[in-house]
Amino acid sequence: MYQKYKRDFGELKNIVRMTEAVFQELGMNPELRNVVDLATEELFVNMVTYNTESNEDILIEMVPHALGLEVRLTDYDVERFDPTSVGSVDVDAPLDERAPGGLGLYLVMKMVDSIHYEYRNRQSKITFIVDRK
Amino acid sequence: MFEILLADDGIVAVEGRLDAAQAVKAQTFLDGVNGQCVLDLSRLEYISSAGLGVLLKTHKRLMGEGSGIKLINVNNHTHDIFRYSGFDKLFEIVPADA
Repeated sequence: MYQKYKRDFGELKNIVRMTEAVFQELGMNPELRNVVDLATEELFVNMVTYNTESNEDILIEMVPHALGLEVRLTDYDVERFDPTSVGSVDVDAPLDERAPGGLGLYLVMKMVDSIHYEYRNRQSKITFIVDRK
Repeated sequence: MFEILLADDGIVAVEGRLDAAQAVKAQTFLDGVNGQCVLDLSRLEYISSAGLGVLLKTHKRLMGEGSGIKLINVNNHTHDIFRYSGFDKLFEIVPADA
């Protein structure tokens, strides 16, 4: 299943509907829904927030994978930005050293089973896999 | 669907999905809270980093005033997110099955 979404946080509710439909179609474990929703939201929000030069919609694809579910997000006419290269977050820092922001991509890396980034012809494509187990 | 409201017992109930699209609504509500704040998360279905940012910003403000946020009825998924984020060391958290 695939769908293009406008560069607007208001699309998140529609992305969730897509995930729900895919889980039903593939008979995926519902307990994995929040992991897929979170990783998809964080990567989508990152594209919307930081790739501000593009007016192109963002393509999201969700397809069966031997291990579970493969999700791909493709952003068009953008500069290279590899979310897998973002540094770690010091989650042990005390409250006065913590600031809102920066956790999204960290959580994605912690929660998905694999993630891959590719950049070609000004297109950023991020692929992640969530194991069905 | 996302709702945040003050119950009769003074506890703030958070319901539904706290994602990037709803973070402003949550922040606007919590900006109006003063003193010790108890958030009942029993009906919170989902939280992303945008929601975590709202909780952190509010907690820091309230701690600066000598109070803070206590999170109660936290389900397993939300608790996992808090653990991964280190929030379990920053907030007083009461799990749903406590």
